[in-house]
Amino acid sequence: MKDKLTPKNIILGLLICFLPLLMYGIDDIVDFLSRSDIYLGWPGGEYMLRIIVRACVYMLLAVGLNIVCGFTGLLDLGYVCFYLIGGYTAGILMARLGVSYWVALPLAVLHGTAWGLLRGAPTLRLTGDYFAIVTFGFAELFFRIIRNEQWLVGAPNGQLRGIPSPTLFGITFNQNWHNYYHILILLTLVIFITYRLQHSRVGRAWVAIREDEQAAESMGINVSRYKSLAFAVSAAIGALGGAFIAQFQVNISAPFFEFWESILILCMVVLGGMGSIRGAMIGAAILGSLGEVLRPGFIIPYQFGNARYLIFGIILILLMRFRPSGLSLKKA
Amino acid sequence: MAQLLEQFINGLVLGGIYALIAVGYTMVYGIIQLINFAHGEIFMFGAYLALMLITVFNIPFWIAVPASMLLCAMLGMLIDLVAYRPLRDAPRLSALITAIGISLVLQNLARMIWSARPRLFPTETLPAFLVSEVNMQTGEILNAIPLPGGGVLPYRDVCILLLAVVLMIALNRLIYLTKIGKAMRACAQNRVASNLMGIKTNQVIAVTFAIGSALGAIAGIMVGLSENITPTMGYYKGVAAFAAAVLGGIGNITGAMLGGIIIGLAEVFGAGYISGGYRLAIAYIIMIAVIVIRPSGLFGKSTGTRA
Repeated sequence: MKDKLTPKNIILGLLICFLPLLMYGIDDIVDFLSRSDIYLGWPGGEYMLRIIVRACVYMLLAVGLNIVCGFTGLLDLGYVCFYLIGGYTAGILMARLGVSYWVALPLAVLHGTAWGLLRGAPTLRLTGDYFAIVTFGFAELFFRIIRNEQWLVGAPNGQLRGIPSPTLFGITFNQNWHNYYHILILLTLVIFITYRLQHSRVGRAWVAIREDEQAAESMGINVSRYKSLAFAVSAAIGALGGAFIAQFQVNISAPFFEFWESILILCMVVLGGMGSIRGAMIGAAILGSLGEVLRPGFIIPYQFGNARYLIFGIILILLMRFRPSGLSLKKA
Repeated sequence: MAQLLEQFINGLVLGGIYALIAVGYTMVYGIIQLINFAHGEIFMFGAYLALMLITVFNIPFWIAVPASMLLCAMLGMLIDLVAYRPLRDAPRLSALITAIGISLVLQNLARMIWSARPRLFPTETLPAFLVSEVNMQTGEILNAIPLPGGGVLPYRDVCILLLAVVLMIALNRLIYLTKIGKAMRACAQNRVASNLMGIKTNQVIAVTFAIGSALGAIAGIMVGLSENITPTMGYYKGVAAFAAAVLGGIGNITGAMLGGIIIGLAEVFGAGYISGGYRLAIAYIIMIAVIVIRPSGLFGKSTGTRA
């Protein structure tokens, strides 16, 4: 790790650590400029910090999805269902049952992991196509359950309001900069775990399964077990992201977890280059912030609606055709 | 009892439409082992193109239907040529992701061109017997056969069902009696060997896409006769049809037809007697159950890892 301590990396690290200060600095500048009659239309620091936190959540999800899609080489079309499970488990526990965030978070992760194992189980002995179909079906099913089962959520359309912010030692973590450091810690943890897994026996087994399942099996790799492990870890990360977003958004509703969200996360992983943690993060950073810019009414006129998905579709097709390894340098 | 009969007929009609779409999924999967996610979007385009031909270009309904089928067949072949053919030997994950990308592009393109507003075929442009409406004076329903027990069976549904059956039989004959059908079956068995035997596999695949897309297009028009046409209809109906293909054993054309009927009936009865909110979920539940219990489907050969 010593050679990683280059000036560039130190500057980057400091930047990441003190980003909120920078953002609030921007706030002051914006304040000053608007007071002196020069209005730039620049979004405020608080708003930008929120976008950055959301992009960080996408990074977390992309790293999680990358485990199944990138390492194990199975197409997961319903990753959003763990995001949903994590979000609603934590949300319902906190908002309706008054459980502390620090208890709800691990419970949400466990719940997600269980569903990850259950979802993957029927497809363990089948080809990846069937896995793609089952994941898709599960995501839709969970989406419908949240929308229809009012007794569970307490309101129609999965509207869950007033999820409390976590508190520790009498401090309530409800500021944007709290959330920034919160997600930074979670993200670092997830990246650390994923990185260690990737460079361990487990990671090598995953890649072997991706390259040739039969060959991997004949080399003594227990394919079902390692696939299940990948499903579980990936689901746990998704649920973690969901639990975080529940307290960050305060109010969540079903449309937040629609099918297209999984495609967006998939697009991030593909853009960054499947099978690379750094790639997944770069993809998430680009599309996470680009998605904000391309929202209807900002650059694209309203009548075109959600044209960003058109752009995402084109990105997917072109990447697969001309550069399947994505932005990463590694050749696929 | 009357309600039961009416539901049953509704289910059959919906099932016939699903069968037409499912055939497109299953034929493509049979030959190139690709889940063509864009097929649902072609189905949606079929409805929109017919609508546009009728309302914008003032083309009569009878010409607009085959024209829309032809356009969709071309669209299907174009997608194969541009997106899938270059990836024929690439990892399957790449082709699947491309299929998702095409689906996203087509769906959002439709939203940009025609907006997300739900549309119907204007009744005055349709042939009179396809429009079953209530006569305000007498209260009787026009263009419908009365059913025992008080229900009615619109001529429209009879036409849809008859046309679906005719098309299915025609497709079956095409595959089992013609030369191109034989080539398709050969490609489905072994593409490389067929190529060595002098079959132009790329042409056969293009024809498969064309036939599947044309059938999808007419299914789209059939849906448009009674339901709203929206950019997301391809996504919802497409998944149900895909469930039908899985149920029948993916790659198996007869299976897809029967699977379509079963899914259609299950959806109508499930929505009527269990819960309307889960109408769309019923197909997913059946699909997952099939994959868990019998992945080769009801009629597929059991080959272990895939049908």
